[in-house]
Amino acid sequence: MPQLHDVDYTLEYPYTRTTGPVIGPFLTGLRDGRILGQRCGDRVLCPPMEFDPDSFATLEPDLVEVGPGGEVVNWTWVAEPSAKHPFDRPFGFAFIKLDGADTDLVHAVDTGGDPQAMSTGMRVRAQFRDERHGSVADVYFVPEADAADQVIEPGEEPVTITEHLIGLRINEPLYPHRARFAQGLLDGKIIGQRSPVTGKVYVPGRGYDNMSRVLMSEADEVEVSDVGTVVAFTELNPVQYYGQTETEPYVRCSILFDGTDQPVIGIDIRDMTVDEMRVGMRMRCIWRDPEERSVEDIDNRYGNIPETVYARFEPTGEPDIPADELKEHSW
Amino acid sequence: MAPRPCAVLGIGQTKYKRRRDDVTLDGLVREATLRALEDAGATFDDIDAIVIGKAPDALEGVMMPLLSLCDALGAIGKPIHRVHTAGSVGASTAISAVNLVESGMYDTVLTIAYEKQSEGNATWALSGGKSGGQGAGGTFAPWIRNYIARSQAPEHIGWMVAVKDRLNALKNEYAHLHLPDISVEKVRESPMLWDPLHFLESCPSSDGAAAMVLGNDDIAKKSGRPSAWVISHAKRTEFGQFPGRDTVRPQAGVECSEALYRKAGITNPREQIDCAELYVPFSWYEPMWLEGHLIAEEGEGWKMTDAGDTELGGSFPVNMSGGVLSSNPIGASGMIRCLEAANQVRGTAGEYQVPGAKISIGHAYGGAAQYYAMWMVSSELNPEL
Repeated sequence: MPQLHDVDYTLEYPYTRTTGPVIGPFLTGLRDGRILGQRCGDRVLCPPMEFDPDSFATLEPDLVEVGPGGEVVNWTWVAEPSAKHPFDRPFGFAFIKLDGADTDLVHAVDTGGDPQAMSTGMRVRAQFRDERHGSVADVYFVPEADAADQVIEPGEEPVTITEHLIGLRINEPLYPHRARFAQGLLDGKIIGQRSPVTGKVYVPGRGYDNMSRVLMSEADEVEVSDVGTVVAFTELNPVQYYGQTETEPYVRCSILFDGTDQPVIGIDIRDMTVDEMRVGMRMRCIWRDPEERSVEDIDNRYGNIPETVYARFEPTGEPDIPADELKEHSW
Repeated sequence: MAPRPCAVLGIGQTKYKRRRDDVTLDGLVREATLRALEDAGATFDDIDAIVIGKAPDALEGVMMPLLSLCDALGAIGKPIHRVHTAGSVGASTAISAVNLVESGMYDTVLTIAYEKQSEGNATWALSGGKSGGQGAGGTFAPWIRNYIARSQAPEHIGWMVAVKDRLNALKNEYAHLHLPDISVEKVRESPMLWDPLHFLESCPSSDGAAAMVLGNDDIAKKSGRPSAWVISHAKRTEFGQFPGRDTVRPQAGVECSEALYRKAGITNPREQIDCAELYVPFSWYEPMWLEGHLIAEEGEGWKMTDAGDTELGGSFPVNMSGGVLSSNPIGASGMIRCLEAANQVRGTAGEYQVPGAKISIGHAYGGAAQYYAMWMVSSELNPEL
């Protein structure tokens, strides 16, 4: 089996959060060096909540300052912090009952990396970071004896919207059938899988025939033609979302390669305009030189025939296939 | 054992807007929920179970929101279920809630669907977070062109739908888009996004939530309020891509409507159904679904639009509320279709009421037009057809 790249990318987006009437003042407070709790009957909830968790009633915003001192009610130790953790050295996560609050706040306690300094019932105190953004990470806790007095300058506008870069790293090997398909492209070949049940040829193969519900393996693989018929196309005006690198309109099409039964979708056409495209048009793949081909963009979910393996697709000049013969391939 | 009859007892919607910057996600679902409870004359104490739906979690980046929204939905100590079928999810969620009532498992069920699109980016999410995403419009455009080629529909049909739905939205206080000066000329002159779809032929990106309280026949009778009886419902699915797939008239859509009509004894949907809320995120899907859901013969759907039959006051009004073209909080959009169908047969649709509407349908589709969910509601439990 070819040894190709592992898939390694981070799916991430800078999501925003509307903070609303209760969480907004809480985050504004943190930015300004104060911890606020929400009154709920005769209790004070910290972190504050918008709704009474017992009666489900809506709580009118009624925030009171709590802390900065509190007591550790329970805790756990993070021996190997990740990049997203609040400290780069080992630390504790603790349930902290702040002075004046009736519920526990889960937060980070910095003991200088020493787990022996953590205990249930210990007193801790809030410390505010120099750079604060109206985030729960604006604050952290230390053993009371280690706390420094701080003078915090309040900010100006209330915190109404926050931004969070939330992501998920995906790191996995290419599935064997994806690796063989990608290797085929590097070799200038389009590899499909022929269903052992129906004889239909799928490109790229999924490793199974979804219609007949049977697995397909290397034994079912066939090289198909790199000449085919355009069955659908669309012009994309790239939406400028986070991570988008496309700026100019281009054509994307689906091509039914000769000898196959399902079109390859999402083929980028950069040197023809939408006016030059026709359903039924015969096209041929002009490959890049072998040393210029790359399949890095192929992962286990996305990427069919990427631009990084071909120089262009060009019309063969053969007569068009009548569109009504392509009805069942119009993806 | 025959299923327990199920009725819509309460309906709640938020104002749909580009950005609801006055409420958290929790506050948004809460707003629709409280309105549905009020409309039903019910409180959280009356609710036995909750069914919640939304489009992919990647749209807002809130994983398993059914857990974090428990407080807002009064779900602590009660069963909560989450449904996910891409864009059709709002209707699938409503139908899943109906199943729970019909089974006899619960007497009263709260169902809610939402999207807070402004907190993320739908095209980013639909692109798997990668550059060069095709988006929904880019995917559907070639299929729409195939419909046009097959049906020989004139190009102004799409423009007409875009205008009609926006004029209907002017009568709906909850609708996102209120475009009083919309016209065929404006639609035609708006930027081309994905040929043949112009900007004004596409749905907006909205924040919003929709909710319903559903109950069995005992609860409905006790409430003494006008009910919408869910007399039929159906869901169908097919693969997004397979050899032989007809993307213009997907088989799952045809079979979903056949099942819906069969269960209700409908033999002539065009005549026996009074009006419909169809999931039309891009203008051309009105004639495509009129045909794809057997309301019109193949090739005849656009003629209904062209003749004005689908306007308010026409013989078969479609999207009286303004439809997805006027408000699109994705996860909620299918539920809005269902609850607006219920509004019609309850006689609570206000300025966009179809006079005397007795039978109406709500519909949604999702994914690559591969998931279908439809329900039929009536002012009577056993209507005369």
